[in-house]
Amino acid sequence: MIKTKTWVIIICATFAVSAALALIIPSLKTDGTIANVYLDGVCIRSIDLERVKTPYSFTVTSERGENTILVERGRICVQSADCPDRICVDQGWLSGSVSPIVCLPHRLIIRIERRAKSDIDAISQ
Amino acid sequence: MSAKRLTRDAIFTAVALIIFIIELQIPALVPVPGVKLGLSNVVTVCAMFLLGPADTAAILFARIFLGSVFSGNMASFIYSLAGGLLCYLVMLILRKRLGEKQIWVCGVLCAIAHNIGQIAVAILVTATPYLISYLPILTVCAIITGLFTGFCAQFAVSRLKNILR
Repeated sequence: MIKTKTWVIIICATFAVSAALALIIPSLKTDGTIANVYLDGVCIRSIDLERVKTPYSFTVTSERGENTILVERGRICVQSADCPDRICVDQGWLSGSVSPIVCLPHRLIIRIERRAKSDIDAISQ
Repeated sequence: MSAKRLTRDAIFTAVALIIFIIELQIPALVPVPGVKLGLSNVVTVCAMFLLGPADTAAILFARIFLGSVFSGNMASFIYSLAGGLLCYLVMLILRKRLGEKQIWVCGVLCAIAHNIGQIAVAILVTATPYLISYLPILTVCAIITGLFTGFCAQFAVSRLKNILR
């Protein structure tokens, strides 16, 4: 049987390391400006955020549900969604952070990267 | 399986489900995918220390399956299952290694294991290895919620053990 004290130390150490990483990760910035929207791991839209002149929104629909994504110059967010938890909406604006916006129920992910993974919008916008 | 055992397991499942459904009504505290209180884990930890691995497996699986059906969110089934499975393995290892006053440790480690399982599935399902960047914040939340559920389970075990044995 491991002593309670040992457990406390193990858990405190894990907590400290995780807390430090959790504070560092959101402040890490990518130098990319292209927002790639992934559905089921496939990039369905790429938007160069630096080239957005007027804010606009579009809806991503799959058999699981809908997410309406709002794009402004330099930033992107999920405006509304019909997923059960709406965490993707609560995550707010994404502008250059390495942590992606995630909607697990709809398997939708928005990441800011250097390269466009889909060429549809990078050209049309 | 005796009628007594079946009834006892059914009551545990029912309690876990009720807690699970009530918890669904609580809005997400932190806007991070996967963070939740995990209150129904109190029942799972209790079951492991009071009833043993076989009964716990049945209770856990029934709760995860019925929970997904009742919440109308079958998409969450695979995440819950992966989290539950990893959590179960951790409990299996810890069962004989923890004293009665250390059950809270099980709550914490289970919560962490649950998140690792969920993230692993999320990475596989969405094909986005980058999701691992959520692991540290999830672990921080898991330790806090795990401490709470762990102590709940510990107190429940100490009060229930005389009735159930």
